[in-house]
Amino acid sequence: MTFVTAGAVPLPADTRSRRIRAYRSMARMALKSLLAYQTSFLFGMLASAFGVLSMLYLWRSALAAGPRQGFDWPQMKAYLLVAFVVGSLVSSYTDYRMANRIQQGDVAMDLVRPVDYQWSRLAESVGFAVYEAGTAIVVVLAAAAIFGGMPPPDRDTVPLFILSALLVLPLRFGIVYLSGLLVFWTQNYVGVQAARIALITLFSGALVPLAFLPEWMRVIATYLPFVGMASTPALLYTGSLDGSDATTAVLVQAAWAVALWWLARLMWSAAARKLTVHGG
Amino acid sequence: MEMVHARPVTLIQVAGLRKVFRKPEKAPGLRGSLRHLLQRRFSEHVAVDGIDLSVAQGEAVAYVGPNGAGKSTTVKMLSGILVPTAGQVLVDGLVPYRARVENARRVGVVFGQRTQLWWDLPVRDSLELLRDMHGLGAARYRETLARLDDVLGLADLLPVVARKLSLGQRMRADLAAALLHEPRIVYLDEPTIGLDIAVKDRVRSFVRRLVADGTTVMLTTHDLADIEDICRRIVIIDAGRVVYDGDLQSVKDTHVRERSMSFELAAGLPGVDRIAARLPGAQVRAGSDDRELTVTFDRMTLGAREVLAAVLAEAEIVDMHIDEPAIETVVRKVYAGQLRPEPDGGVDRETVS
Ligand SMILES: Nc1ncnc2c1ncn2[C@@H]1O[C@H](COP(=O)(O)OP(=O)(O)OP(=O)(O)O)[C@@H](O)[C@H]1O
Ligand SMILES: [Mg+2]
Repeated sequence: MTFVTAGAVPLPADTRSRRIRAYRSMARMALKSLLAYQTSFLFGMLASAFGVLSMLYLWRSALAAGPRQGFDWPQMKAYLLVAFVVGSLVSSYTDYRMANRIQQGDVAMDLVRPVDYQWSRLAESVGFAVYEAGTAIVVVLAAAAIFGGMPPPDRDTVPLFILSALLVLPLRFGIVYLSGLLVFWTQNYVGVQAARIALITLFSGALVPLAFLPEWMRVIATYLPFVGMASTPALLYTGSLDGSDATTAVLVQAAWAVALWWLARLMWSAAARKLTVHGG
Repeated sequence: MEMVHARPVTLIQVAGLRKVFRKPEKAPGLRGSLRHLLQRRFSEHVAVDGIDLSVAQGEAVAYVGPNGAGKSTTVKMLSGILVPTAGQVLVDGLVPYRARVENARRVGVVFGQRTQLWWDLPVRDSLELLRDMHGLGAARYRETLARLDDVLGLADLLPVVARKLSLGQRMRADLAAALLHEPRIVYLDEPTIGLDIAVKDRVRSFVRRLVADGTTVMLTTHDLADIEDICRRIVIIDAGRVVYDGDLQSVKDTHVRERSMSFELAAGLPGVDRIAARLPGAQVRAGSDDRELTVTFDRMTLGAREVLAAVLAEAEIVDMHIDEPAIETVVRKVYAGQLRPEPDGGVDRETVS
């Protein structure tokens, strides 16, 4: 029998400030790890620049004959560019990493850290988003220069627009994180990611404003979380959404952001039960 | 706060721990996948099958067993990564998978085949991130890092991006990452896998030092030399069950009755038969050279002195040595299935309080 002095140094109780510091540091590191890859940065920027330019050319010729569904060319330009910037947040670094780590079993190493899994992924997503927003804004400035400037935001809806743009982050995070968690069930992520991207592209109005969709689809889209990921902030920017409609749209955004967060929590606890870490 | 307990404090308490994995039963190819979607069939695989274990504070336990025995699965349940299918786990008063975050503040985990480090960042950044995660103050971080640097030689590694580290360097950095917050309990799952002898030695002396400092260590390894000078207690598992739990020395004494003596002789022997005749029951073999001779015997029926006398009577001895039984031998027996638990459940075990 050995004689042991009990509990060498009792661990200090956990504090909120430790957690905040942890997540802030994670966000910073996520940003830093993206900055480590200069070449992929350039290529990513080029690719999205081409995407935006071709979209703008397309819409300019489509609207050459005059406004459609209430969109004239300057409005459409502003709509598309805003939708592009907010749509580039939380694009795929988050779920790509998550899915990979889950499939490879490296998620085990995420779980031996003294941080909540979901908050950690959000923190990282915020770090990635700084980078994503940075690149998107550069692309948008270039595109605006080529297409003869961009109209300023509508004065009346600016505060709501800012709020709505900020809500895009938790919203997109919710969807991206939830689809990342699906890997626990599907094993293969490529299909899930493609489906997610297709859903967002169609129902968020990032490519084609929802006003161009058939009536029934537009009605469905209004209540889905996707509309808040591009359409709502973009319409607020152009001033096409105002009054009580504007407030409702932002409330729907906020409600979905909260709902997705808690849905993800539920899904995580189901996933953790069936979590089988591969290898090792 | 200087309390002295007559009985060791139990830090890890495991009872009836089980983990069953469900594997999809799927025919190969697309047809198999589609079929699986319609009628989902699973086969069950019991990785950990009712393990009982209790580890006292400050103990160093070797946790060994053949490939697929369930060692890593146990460690994953102890560290809160996996949820057990059944049974209880209590680590320092916490149920790891329920209080995962709190548990992670107290334990350090190294999986030799994985890394804690952020792949795209310099080691220093990873360590600073862990510093922030554990809420360590600047002074304490500096001190701990200096101490770790002392044993692990980290200074050269700090500015290197983790992706570019060699295996041995990565392992040193990973050990530092797992121990930065000075956990009271450390699980090391194959910390020396793939390392060269020099780095292995370094890791071993590092772990020895941890143990000397009073850290509770659970060490999983296939390199049994790792455990001989680190652990006094060994837990051997096979097919998810504990087949031995007790003192390292006494398992050797009980299960390795074989001793072996090697001789170097002054002149070549024409044959070994005459010596063999003097030592019934022993195995006498000539070495590659006829001046070398090895006698293997059961220490219960024969003594070293009798062996020596028999050889001396037939030849002139230049040099000799007795091979201490290696733990390898015991474990090899387990691996070969010679040391199964008795069917009535009477496992060969010395329970530690
Ligand atoms: N995620 C999983 N899904 C299905 N089976 C698994 C999973 N992880 C482990 N197993 C199975 O459980 C058993 C125990 O695995 P474990 O990794 O615990 O073994 P181990 O003792 O660590 O072996 P090794 O010495 O090879 O590392 C093995 O048969 C393994 O195939
Ligand atoms: Mg293992």
